[in-house]
Amino acid sequence: MSVLNNKIGKGYVLLSTYICVAVTLLIFIVLFSNSYDALHQVGLNLFTLEWNPSSNKFGVLSMLYGTITVTFIALIIATPLGISAAIFTSQMTSSKGRILIKSTLELLASIPSIIYGLIGIAFFSTWVASIFDLSTGRTLFTAGILLSFMILPTIITLCDDALHNIPKHYSEASKGLGMYPYEIIKNVLLPIASRDIAGAILLALGRALGETMAVMLLIGSIDKIPDPFYNILSPGQTITSKLGREIGESAFGSLHFSALNTIGCLLMVLVIIITITTQVHFKKERLYE
Amino acid sequence: MKHLLLLCVFAILVSSCSNSSSNTKTITIAGSSTVLPIISNAAELYKETHPDIKIIVNAGGSGVGVNQVGSQKVNIGMISRDITSKEKGLYPSILFKTQAIGKDAVIPAISSEIYDAGITTLTLEQIAKIYKGEITNWSALQGPNKDILVIDKEKSRGTRHVFMATVMNNKEADAPGADLVLGSNNEEQTALVQSDAAIGMLSMAWLNNDVKGTSIQTPNGEPVAPTLSNIIEGKFPITRDLTIVTNGNPTGEVKNFIDFLLSPQGQSIVTDNGYVSIK
Repeated sequence: MSVLNNKIGKGYVLLSTYICVAVTLLIFIVLFSNSYDALHQVGLNLFTLEWNPSSNKFGVLSMLYGTITVTFIALIIATPLGISAAIFTSQMTSSKGRILIKSTLELLASIPSIIYGLIGIAFFSTWVASIFDLSTGRTLFTAGILLSFMILPTIITLCDDALHNIPKHYSEASKGLGMYPYEIIKNVLLPIASRDIAGAILLALGRALGETMAVMLLIGSIDKIPDPFYNILSPGQTITSKLGREIGESAFGSLHFSALNTIGCLLMVLVIIITITTQVHFKKERLYE
Repeated sequence: MKHLLLLCVFAILVSSCSNSSSNTKTITIAGSSTVLPIISNAAELYKETHPDIKIIVNAGGSGVGVNQVGSQKVNIGMISRDITSKEKGLYPSILFKTQAIGKDAVIPAISSEIYDAGITTLTLEQIAKIYKGEITNWSALQGPNKDILVIDKEKSRGTRHVFMATVMNNKEADAPGADLVLGSNNEEQTALVQSDAAIGMLSMAWLNNDVKGTSIQTPNGEPVAPTLSNIIEGKFPITRDLTIVTNGNPTGEVKNFIDFLLSPQGQSIVTDNGYVSIK
């Protein structure tokens, strides 16, 4: 019986693994094969500004710009906030307080993104519009801020773990040398945890790149690069919002569909590069292991 | 023993699922958000008298409606424009069969602040210039000195096709003056309410106190207000049929539901939603 169980168990585990790998590969293959038409027919014209499916113009530059800008805004806001919060939870509270704060913050991560979008469109965008005296609050900036809230839990949780996992003897030895808490954090703990913190930020970056729903509702969805280009208080478009808006109405097999697959591919390649960088560069041996 | 029990539960679950699906018939519908309120109200009423029928209604836009019927994912597509020849070409094996169930007008809608400031009538040429980006401030139209927030729609939306066909003489015209591109009527309505200097295009059923429809000035100088009577009489220039589309002639339960839409009761739903019935 136990031999049979063993075999069944092994088979089941193997099968599960294969299915997971197969699904990943399938997504790759489907995206790449469906991108072929667009890559072949549109080619380098993909890197232009104009997108109009009815005249077969598929320029992705404005979407790339929007994706990078929104992600950048989100990281600029979320990184300092997240690291500071992580320093607090890992170093300055009791373990009970840490768990309480952390689980509250992790609640942020479990809120579905459509809810962020809803709050964003109902309140946030109107606030942004009235504060900056804009004609519309649906801007790159609004989407970036909302996105920063959404990636904050990732940064806080991972940075907190990174700081918390540093063996106690580092900070105790530093204390023994007469260092102030500020100096311990700045000169000892943060440098030790820097790799993990960078990894956390890259992971958050990956999430920010892929976020669709909230961004789609808030960004204005216009394929334009603002004028001047740093004017983030104007509407824009990200790769994900473009996909969300148009994939349903593009006919399967058309050039339009293929072009949407291509920008999907583009996004995936970006995310994969980031993931691989994280894996290779930031998962090397830690100082204290 | 435990496994046996689990197996039993599983078997019961599976059998109960297949049971329920064999007894109730499902009609799936998707497409234009303009037609959606009629169909979903009709579906609710229809289910009261036909408890064995399940009707699933989804929005997505006219483009989605055509595509889903084309790829045979739904029984009925809702569209608020004509099917383009390009779309027909994509699905050569599908025989698109359309049936008008009501009439609608697409109305240039502006924020109430602008309407109250005196802009109640626009010519088609002025609207075209706004969407082309040649007029960018309301002061150019004797309105307040505010930049116009031009709201466009996704390219395959029925409302946009009809609007652009009349205003720009090309249903897929580019709108270089646009500031936002939105999707459904609801989304467009929200943006119009949230702004104090916006113009957009809305189906007549979405106009209210915060979102005003402008009259359109005809070439002979007479402004035509977006009222029900003007639309019924065909005076208002931007009108369209609200249509449902099936693959081939509808049969069985799908046909029954469509007959219900065309019945006096179904047509009263059309008028209740602020549209014009076809009869």
